Amino acid sequence: MGDVVEIKENENQEQEAIPVNVENQEPVEVPVNVENQEQQEIPVNVENQEQQEVPASAENQEQEEAPANEEEVAIPVDIDEEVITQQLQQNETLPDVFERKLKNNDDAITEEEYINEQIKTQNEKIQSSNNIYEVGSVTVVKDFILEVTGLENVQFYERVNIGDKGFGYVSKIEKNYITVSLLHKSQNIVVGDSVYRTNNEYKGEYSKDALGRIIDIFGTDKLNNKKFQNIVEIPIEIETFPIMDRTSVKRPMFTGIAGIDLIYPIGKGQRQLIIGDKKTGKTQICLDAIVNQKGKNMICIYVAIGKTKKEVKELYYELLKREAMNYTIIITAFNDDLPPAISFTPYYALSVAANYLYEGYDVLVVLDDLKKHADSYREICLISGKAPGRDAYPSDIFYLHSRLLERGCQYKNGGSITILPVVETKGGDITDYISTNIISITDGQIVLSSKNYQKGIKPAIDYGLSVSRLGGSVQNEATKKLGSKVRQKLLSYLETKEVYELSNVDEMSPELRDKMINGAKLLNNLIQYKYSPLKEEEILERFKEFSG
Amino acid sequence: MLIGKIISISDIRVNIFRLEDVDVKIGDVLESKVGDKLYEFEVAEINNNEIICMALKLVIGLSKGVEVYKKSDGLEVEYSEKVLGRVFNAYGEPIDGKEVDSTQRKNINSKSLKLDEIDVNNEVLWTGIKVIDFFAPIAKGFKMGLLGGAGVGKTVVIKELINNIYKSRNSNAVFIGVGERSREGKELYDEMKESDLLDKISIVFGQMGDNPLSRYKAVSSGLTIAEYLRDERDQDVLLFIDNIYRYVQAKAEISTELKRVPVENGYPTTMANDVSTIEERINSTGNGSITSFQAIYIPADDITDEAVQTIIGHLDGQLVLDRKTAEKGLYPAINVFRTNSKLIDIEKIGERHYNLVEQVLKYLTRAEELEEIIAVLGVDELSQDDQNIFYRSRKIRNYFSQPMFVAENYTSIPGKFVDINDCLTDLEEIIKGTYDDMDESKLLYIGKINE
Repeated sequence: MGDVVEIKENENQEQEAIPVNVENQEPVEVPVNVENQEQQEIPVNVENQEQQEVPASAENQEQEEAPANEEEVAIPVDIDEEVITQQLQQNETLPDVFERKLKNNDDAITEEEYINEQIKTQNEKIQSSNNIYEVGSVTVVKDFILEVTGLENVQFYERVNIGDKGFGYVSKIEKNYITVSLLHKSQNIVVGDSVYRTNNEYKGEYSKDALGRIIDIFGTDKLNNKKFQNIVEIPIEIETFPIMDRTSVKRPMFTGIAGIDLIYPIGKGQRQLIIGDKKTGKTQICLDAIVNQKGKNMICIYVAIGKTKKEVKELYYELLKREAMNYTIIITAFNDDLPPAISFTPYYALSVAANYLYEGYDVLVVLDDLKKHADSYREICLISGKAPGRDAYPSDIFYLHSRLLERGCQYKNGGSITILPVVETKGGDITDYISTNIISITDGQIVLSSKNYQKGIKPAIDYGLSVSRLGGSVQNEATKKLGSKVRQKLLSYLETKEVYELSNVDEMSPELRDKMINGAKLLNNLIQYKYSPLKEEEILERFKEFSG
Repeated sequence: MLIGKIISISDIRVNIFRLEDVDVKIGDVLESKVGDKLYEFEVAEINNNEIICMALKLVIGLSKGVEVYKKSDGLEVEYSEKVLGRVFNAYGEPIDGKEVDSTQRKNINSKSLKLDEIDVNNEVLWTGIKVIDFFAPIAKGFKMGLLGGAGVGKTVVIKELINNIYKSRNSNAVFIGVGERSREGKELYDEMKESDLLDKISIVFGQMGDNPLSRYKAVSSGLTIAEYLRDERDQDVLLFIDNIYRYVQAKAEISTELKRVPVENGYPTTMANDVSTIEERINSTGNGSITSFQAIYIPADDITDEAVQTIIGHLDGQLVLDRKTAEKGLYPAINVFRTNSKLIDIEKIGERHYNLVEQVLKYLTRAEELEEIIAVLGVDELSQDDQNIFYRSRKIRNYFSQPMFVAENYTSIPGKFVDINDCLTDLEEIIKGTYDDMDESKLLYIGKINE
């Protein structure tokens, strides 16, 4: 007599066995055969402990002793749920080996028996969850970051399910554990919960039916809380469009706002930042831009990042009222969603946009807002132990947004993705870390100032600080000519105004006086209220007098 | 050759368990295959039998236990005349859709020059941009830094310099795009192609959508090409780097992944050394020279930033662009008080130019002081002398704005190339008061006065 309990863990061999040999008075072999094949299939045959006396095993080359019964040999390589249930039902009718043994031997429980029992219960667990290599268990829970042991062959970025409590993706593989970032949870997760592999890279879900709806990255229609039909998978992380597949940005995308279309124009494929304090009309400019695309064969995607449910609903009704939802999708991650889901949402949105781009569509994506996105990402990084840098943001915070915004482009097939990222500032300071990072990525910025807003200059654009790096190259000839004149006049007026504010108008030289009067008139002409778009011809007409 | 197996994976880092009898050194390139997907890594650190690598591309789909093989002794780039007119990525692969029938390749991590090989010469290169030629003239073999926060026009100035210097001289050039916009990179290529200038330039891109290793390696790859032109072809090479700050930034990302302790603001501890390794390769020898123009991004508009200061330490001159000037619509938005060059020396540029620089700076400084007084009292309260200084300074300031060739597309004003002597004459006249009666806005965006 002598107990040999061998549990050998081996990976990466084409064929490997994890024999659990148990020898006792009634020598029983419980071979657990794991075939790890190159196709990443891990077919496993785990014999139910309760059948110890009838050691049966399918596909076990080393099969010894009693022949297995026919049915069990027929267990397919891929474990079929049906077969398992069948088996379990059969097993239930078999007597429990431990109890039976107690009946046969009146002796007290020996050590061997205790071990046997342990093995039995463990094996039962294993069987109920298919395969030891496919199921791990949670060892650490830090809010939405889990550490999981036991998942040896899991792929980087693979989707894993934590029972029916939630799911996430593999965000790190370490020597002894993996890190899972939770994307969704319905119940609290506790240490010891089982984590199941899916063998698939985590992908967002999308359906073409989503046009006109509010959706999330899981393919749920938020308006009725149902999943869409005809789901297609959307990869979250993709390599950026190759540099040589891009062409120059030169077609205008009209927002209907004179201050933008004339002075700091936006082209199809451009990334133009909208930046400003709270309550300066950032979102309004984006909504104006979306509403103005009516009948222009554009697909608009409004991405609400970390907004409240109320805000999103209001926004939806605004767009619905103006018939803009026919060509618009609202993609949301609410502020109470898990940070990994929030941080995925803009990538998902851009991947959805890329799908339309490949079909040749022009797509407008509004990212509202990226400051919240950066903060969510910082939260994830600090919880998972990444070293903080400036303002406690991790050092790859620039890359976080650069690879996102680089997906905006004019593609060679004629389609384009225009991105309007929004960033909220504090105290009008656009030189903080996140703002300057994003300014250095985008093709220009529209700066909104609360001072202008309060003075009644709407949209509250700060014409001095705003920039368009593409400028006239995305405007039609006439607009370009007028635009450069108007811009120069306006900037010169704003700058001169500062110096001569205290001077007496009557004592000014006639040239200077004209400049001051004209400038004030020009600034007044730029005032435009929400949802009152101007067509290009109307803008040309309105500013005709400033072309001289 | 089998090196080992993967034992851990994070965003861009892959750790490999090394087999006992294999030798690996830092910089080696390793590869793995999963299904039909190929993954490549560069060795960054060796810790006993654990090799820590940086992935060249995305690592999605990799898993523990995947076998890793050795691919090469390091990243290589073409080292022959076939580099001209071509576009490469940071890893030395052509990305312009044509193959390179390679004749010779070279490892991108070469050594810097020795002291006795370095040549210091001072032939002046005029750029035709008034404010640069006047305040910060550039000599052959110089390293000029172009500093600026986000969105003040660094790239436009770099492009104008390419336009004015590269186009007018018959020299070869290398453009390295590091962590900048892909759109701008493609536009540069298209413009070069349209104006038939592609045959003398080679371009290397590691743009901002690429992973940190790509942005980190782009500089070394581009430098290897520049060294080829200098050492093998004895050329005077123009080197444009847009943007060298992104190189340090990429290294910071890599360093974090290596779990090294960062210094201030998350920069890598090895920053000074990393910058020196690159900057010391940019030098001139007796046979050929490298004149470099390096754009330097100023994060959060903070010029005292560690990384920026480290890079500035290597420069022969700097052009600082600032937001205040840009806000007034004066481009190039150069802050003249912070702009300088080693050439501003009475022995190098002559008495006339030198004295004029001093005088102009004096005027501009006084005008800035006066602005504060004017904000409270108004212009009329100033003495006649001060009024003259104030008005003339504003004229000088406007005069230094200049239409750019490369910006014609969005300003609708054709570019102007201004000879330095015309510039000096005009400035002398403004200071003398010759143009006192002229409206100051007439001096905005012109070439020389009375053209």
